[in-house]
Amino acid sequence: MGITIRQATISDIQAMQNANLHNLPENYQLKYYMYHILSWPQASFVATTYDDIVGVNDTEVDIATHSDPKGDTSYVRKGEKIVGYVLGKMEDDPEAEDKTPHGHITSLSVMRTYRRMGIAEKLMKQSLYAMCEVFGAQYVSLHVRKSNRAALHLYRDSLNFEIKSIEKSYYQDGEDAYAMRLELDLEKLVPSKIKEEQEQDDLTKDLLDDL
Amino acid sequence: MVTKKASPIFASKEDSNFREALKLYDAKQYKKALKLVEGNLKKHSHHAESLALKGCITFHIGAKQDAEPYILKAVEKEPTNYLVNHLAGLYYRSVEDYHKAAKWLKAANDNGSPNKPILRDLSFMQSQIRDYKNLKESRQLYLEHQPGYRANWTGLAVAQHLNKEYHAAVSTLDKIENIIKEHLTDADMYEQSECVLYKHQILSEAGDYERALKALENDKDSIKDMLSYMEYKAKYLLLLGQKKEASLIYRELLKRNPDNISYYPLLETALDTTSKPEELRLKLYEKLGRYYPRSDPPKFIPLTFLSSEGDLFAKKARDYIIPQLLRGVPATFVNVKPLYLNPKKSQVIEEIVLDFYQHDLPKLENPTVAVWTEYFLAQHYLYKNDLDSADKHIDLALEHTPTLVELYIVKARIIKHRGDYVKASEVMDEGRKLDLQDRFINSKTTKYLLRANKVNEAIDCISLFTKLDEDAINGCKDLHTMQVSWVLVESAEAYTRLYHEYQAKLNELRNCEAEENEELTQELLENIETYRGLALKRFTSIVKLYKIFYNDQYDFHSYCMRRGTPRDYIDTLRWEDKIHSTPIYTRALKGLSELYFELYSESLNDNEESSQEVKIKKTNKKQKKAKAQMNKKKTEFIARVESEKEDADPLGAKLLHDLQNSDVIEALFELFKSLIEEGKDLELTWKVLFKVYLIQGKYVLALQAVKNLNKVLNPYGEKKLREIGSRVVELATTSKNDDKANAAIVKVVEKGLHSAFPEFEQLSTDEFLELYNQ
Repeated sequence: MGITIRQATISDIQAMQNANLHNLPENYQLKYYMYHILSWPQASFVATTYDDIVGVNDTEVDIATHSDPKGDTSYVRKGEKIVGYVLGKMEDDPEAEDKTPHGHITSLSVMRTYRRMGIAEKLMKQSLYAMCEVFGAQYVSLHVRKSNRAALHLYRDSLNFEIKSIEKSYYQDGEDAYAMRLELDLEKLVPSKIKEEQEQDDLTKDLLDDL
Repeated sequence: MVTKKASPIFASKEDSNFREALKLYDAKQYKKALKLVEGNLKKHSHHAESLALKGCITFHIGAKQDAEPYILKAVEKEPTNYLVNHLAGLYYRSVEDYHKAAKWLKAANDNGSPNKPILRDLSFMQSQIRDYKNLKESRQLYLEHQPGYRANWTGLAVAQHLNKEYHAAVSTLDKIENIIKEHLTDADMYEQSECVLYKHQILSEAGDYERALKALENDKDSIKDMLSYMEYKAKYLLLLGQKKEASLIYRELLKRNPDNISYYPLLETALDTTSKPEELRLKLYEKLGRYYPRSDPPKFIPLTFLSSEGDLFAKKARDYIIPQLLRGVPATFVNVKPLYLNPKKSQVIEEIVLDFYQHDLPKLENPTVAVWTEYFLAQHYLYKNDLDSADKHIDLALEHTPTLVELYIVKARIIKHRGDYVKASEVMDEGRKLDLQDRFINSKTTKYLLRANKVNEAIDCISLFTKLDEDAINGCKDLHTMQVSWVLVESAEAYTRLYHEYQAKLNELRNCEAEENEELTQELLENIETYRGLALKRFTSIVKLYKIFYNDQYDFHSYCMRRGTPRDYIDTLRWEDKIHSTPIYTRALKGLSELYFELYSESLNDNEESSQEVKIKKTNKKQKKAKAQMNKKKTEFIARVESEKEDADPLGAKLLHDLQNSDVIEALFELFKSLIEEGKDLELTWKVLFKVYLIQGKYVLALQAVKNLNKVLNPYGEKKLREIGSRVVELATTSKNDDKANAAIVKVVEKGLHSAFPEFEQLSTDEFLELYNQ
């Protein structure tokens, strides 16, 4: 199946760390992930593939044989594997100049073999919505490598972030970063909203009525 | 011994010195504190408080291993002195021995310490060691001392909840809510929201959904986390049978997140459609698909319930797959792979893609679609283990677009399936060179190099993305610091294979040559020793890592109460309680168990072992020059594999040696102890423990292990498994043939086997084994 997007929980953090270590050069110890989940439990999301549902629905399938879960950290539990994550937080530096509540994206990545399905965008939308709704974030900021064109495209073109400044040698290897920012407006952020015209579930009719 | 009363002047000087030293210690002025304490001890070497403080100071600025004796001496002198107790508690906390720390902090409090913050520290220790009964008491007492902080109320509620005193926990949360109601500021509102939701979580855990639902509505205004609010509400409604209302909430949840697959089956439950005809269900999903055209579940879920026989499945599968191929979605195959659990569906999918391949592709203008289709087919045939067809398709794709990294990943995987790990790693590396900026393909290459036992090359490869410490030649140390557990465990397995390879070569050499080739034997012996040591070392690094993961929770026993995140805190405790059953840890334990059992078998033919060691020494003497050269090589080698700066045992030689000189089976049991609870659903747990108990002659426990194994492998009890049958026979035979075994115990085991596996009593051993051969 494709991908499911859901809020991250503490049992996801080993797999999130694993995805981060597979994809990006900026890495964190597990405790930092714990700190995110236990400080802003609503701000982080994961993308997983999930194949239990096949066994539930398909009466032609019999999956009765036991096997221990694979020794692969990307599995959160049997049948569910993490392929992307967004790790979000609220600004909590007491020395930060700007006291308006705002969020920050610590890290976002999707396994290479799961690209072109809009996963990163979906993860971001969930995180932005939650930061705004739960923590009252008025804007969210993030850094992106100057050379990372795919990420720049996502933030600037798909999510409407603005480049605020360039931070010289932000990364350990000396590369510059774009400091980007998006003002948040809860109404506009509803994750199921898309740019094109779309039929809406107005919640008034019985779903099964005209089937 | 001079008591305080006997020489008051002396004692008071001493005490005032001690108090001064204690202040300095709290201010981290360890050197000055030490001076005072040592002055005291010079005059009065048994002054218990000074001894205890010296222990604490020594831990911070002296040799760490010298610290504990002072503590032990101090608590021996004055076991009921609360200051000594307190310092002992602090010392054991610093060394992360939370059991002892809890014991001494509790003693400090019980012995009348007026220092109430001890109770708070004590509660952290008790949380860490899961002593929930006493935790409740400390949280309660501390709350009485400091009732003005919400955190202390939350702390008590958590303790009550952990003791399953749901009503007491809810009432504690209610109480503080009422007290604080009028005084909440904006800054408190997040904590308020979380605490209110925590209350509902407890109510629902207690099974009181009606009350939880009512309370949820009452508290709606103070809840900020609307996702949790709706998820809770929908769940309560569903459980209370109010399906119509529940379905509306699930529809609202879908508007927020149509990509969360778990909502769809719940919505169907609420709508009562799960047992309706598939046509109706399909229409429902088609409607949802129109509402959420970018989301996968409405398109995918019908593929799971549509029958493989009908045209609907074929049509919908086509609608699902072909647009993805046209868009060039790399994961198209992976997306449909779960459906392959049903072989008929896999057949239909093959037909769809082949039809597209033969009839539509030639007409298309975009040539990359052909590449992605070949890529799909290669994975499809790989899944079916038709490696030639897989190769054919991936080669066509590569021929067309030799710059597409993804193709190399599949090509390498096909070669891996053919068993040529070296070649596979080379192909992966070709892919890596096409995109040196991408860590994902670097990780894949690293993994394949490790599978090919090329550990040095692998570490060099991944080191392109790790931090290099000063004068480090690769990122090996950083991989440890950054907790890259997958590399550690893969390295351990590679080292194990290398050790086995050299072992096999040595056996071959000994078998086929009448006269031993000393030089070669020597080299093989050293390689065996090195790689076996490294394998142990790397597996053990995983065990260490999980100790860190477990201790990581420590700060949160306090933090989450202040921050106001009790719900996720409770989740964290439960997660930590199962952390030893997670994938990498169990994989490391599996590797360790194999190494330990080998060591055990070797210890049974002890003599041979010792002759090997002698030989190493003798040869070394003979070849001094070669030795010098080898030492240089060895230093270089060590620099590559060091796991931390100034590693005292970089090759795991001491680790190996210590194991060889200890009860290795008991050591293995110690490693597996945590799995008895946490990993009771794993076959690994019971397979290893069965063997351990059998060797230790603990036959009743071995009986329990084989029964548990059967429960895991055969949950419905209808199968007669070979793995079970052979163990039943092994246990019966071993216990009967054991002269040292207690006859009554052997009888108990026999009876137990007969009642659990009645055929074992009724049939002969051969017949039994024939029956148990699934």
